[in-house]
Amino acid sequence: MSGHAKVVTPTPDGGFATHEVAHHFKTAEQEYQSGKLAFWLFLATEVMLFGGLFAAYIIYHDVYPETFVAGGSTLNWKLGALNTVFLLTSSWTMAMGVRASQLSQKKALVGYLVVTWLFAAGFMVVKYFEYSGKLSEGVGPGYWFNPVPGSHYAEVLEGLPFPNLFFALYFTMTGIHGIHVLVGMILIGWLIVRAQKGHFHSGFYLPVDLIGLYWHVVDVIWIFLFPLLYLVP
Amino acid sequence: MSDHSTHGAHGHDEVVVDHTHHAHPASAGLFFAIYAALLFFTFLTVAIAEPVSGLHLGSASMFIAMLVASVKASLVMAVFMHLKWDTAMNNIAFLGSLIFLSLLFLFTISDVATRGQADPAASTPAEYQQPVFHEYEHKGGH
Repeated sequence: MSGHAKVVTPTPDGGFATHEVAHHFKTAEQEYQSGKLAFWLFLATEVMLFGGLFAAYIIYHDVYPETFVAGGSTLNWKLGALNTVFLLTSSWTMAMGVRASQLSQKKALVGYLVVTWLFAAGFMVVKYFEYSGKLSEGVGPGYWFNPVPGSHYAEVLEGLPFPNLFFALYFTMTGIHGIHVLVGMILIGWLIVRAQKGHFHSGFYLPVDLIGLYWHVVDVIWIFLFPLLYLVP
Repeated sequence: MSDHSTHGAHGHDEVVVDHTHHAHPASAGLFFAIYAALLFFTFLTVAIAEPVSGLHLGSASMFIAMLVASVKASLVMAVFMHLKWDTAMNNIAFLGSLIFLSLLFLFTISDVATRGQADPAASTPAEYQQPVFHEYEHKGGH
């Protein structure tokens, strides 16, 4: 093989762009597996990021169980369950999108990505109403935790030790998770643009695969946040 | 590199098609079955929760809630994230992080769950039971 050769992956028919393998990789398989391993290591750091917050939850839930049960009771579990269904559905459509990219189904890929993006947006809309409802009653994180006297929050949390702890964890955990959802929406939006240009097909679908993995981790974190915050056991 | 086919092998125009990577799409039916199972377990999570059902499971409620969540997370990771079919290296990289996370949880739980039990003979074990927090000066309004 000549040193000047341009190495590409197979491009199926039907208006797809040819993917050139980066010059520092020997083969397309090596490029794919390198990208995957690097991304799994990044996801391991995500596990550690949220893991520390879950450890904080374990400690404070154990020390102030009544405060956590009361704090959780002020959250609307129906909205939490709705958002769980939104994220599970988007996770499923994302998995189907990765599958469509592997099968070089351009229209199906774009469709699944758009549906995934819409459910992510739905999640953020619900989150917006939840956050604004709390902030308008003086329930915010840390410094901003001053429940309006006479409000539902003030009544339920009356006399309980350190209700600010529960809400600090609620805002920190759902806030960092929400930022991940917003980042996911930007990334999925970028995938939609590239998918329409025919960049992803059986010969090259790594970006769809990796952002899919990211999106599933966002889903997995919410799977634990929902029962711990909305249905405090 | 025997599986490379060469087109237009003339000087700088040479293009080599690399066939080393093959996609292995999972079945759509399996993905839907997992999605349905995830919805079922979400329903179960809500149905057994005390604030919704009024069930009094006591200290078992946390264990059961986390067990159901772990089953859901495992389904997502194994199938949606393709770990079931992924390389040993990728499985070790990610599942390794979960093993170390479980160590963090194990030692945290064994700490908070056993406070006050270090010296059963102590006359006032309550002193050992909870960390002391001092009221911080509240700077906010109201």
